[in-house]
Amino acid sequence: MSTINESDIQSFVEAVSAFFFQITEEKVEIRSAYLTEGGIAPSTFDLTSYITLSGEFSGRVYFSAPRVMVAHLLLVMQEPDRGDDRLLDAVGEIANTISGNARKHFGEAMQISVPVTQATEHDWLQTVVSPHSYVIIVKWKQYRASVVVDIQCVD
Amino acid sequence: MKLLIVDDSAIIRSRIARVLSDLRLNSIEVVGMARNGMEAIALFLQNTPDIVTMDITMPEMDGVDCTEKMISLSPECNILVISALSDKATALKALKKGARGFLYKPFTDEELIAAFLELTNP
Repeated sequence: MSTINESDIQSFVEAVSAFFFQITEEKVEIRSAYLTEGGIAPSTFDLTSYITLSGEFSGRVYFSAPRVMVAHLLLVMQEPDRGDDRLLDAVGEIANTISGNARKHFGEAMQISVPVTQATEHDWLQTVVSPHSYVIIVKWKQYRASVVVDIQCVD
Repeated sequence: MKLLIVDDSAIIRSRIARVLSDLRLNSIEVVGMARNGMEAIALFLQNTPDIVTMDITMPEMDGVDCTEKMISLSPECNILVISALSDKATALKALKKGARGFLYKPFTDEELIAAFLELTNP
């Protein structure tokens, strides 16, 4: 196993930024760093989804956001149903889109699963991600969300 | 024109239906919405749609295999792949299996309409 490099990470940052801009037509504020560098904790919010990678990569890409932020995104998307199922569907679709868009950089070598979604308790992410994870904090309007890239190359 | 929408996300399914219905083209009728390739094939056989919007990453049967199956059943069917998979190889694979258009997620309403009209009015 080996860790991914800076340009690999940048592809996820760009995918996150592009996703929010495309949906909201607003630029989001992004902070990012390796977990081991300190300074940014992988905050867990109400709803979390993850994509499992296979092929020449292993690991997961997580997206976690507060319920109110996801509901606001659905409002922007003109989705009339903002019930729990739709909110979970939305976080799954966001993780899927971010990971899928990163394949522009990684190519077919990075296979992605369908998303798994769940309501999550405080600190859940900290219990499941590895120390070499890369954390991306997204700030849109007054909300914050986490994207955690916890992947390795399969040698 | 009969439209079948295939995507494992309910939000994407309802958005595609809303945007294309809002076009107010009288000839568009959404005949079904499927969450995976297996459901899609069943709805395809029941409804014989003229156009299908197709996700790629789905449980049960993915969009590439589903496209190949639909084209084998009805070679004239117009399939528009709508996927987040942004590598060129995936788009080429879907086109090789018989899809006639490819739209990347996330997409704007305008991009969806343009892709749909391009497919239906070549």
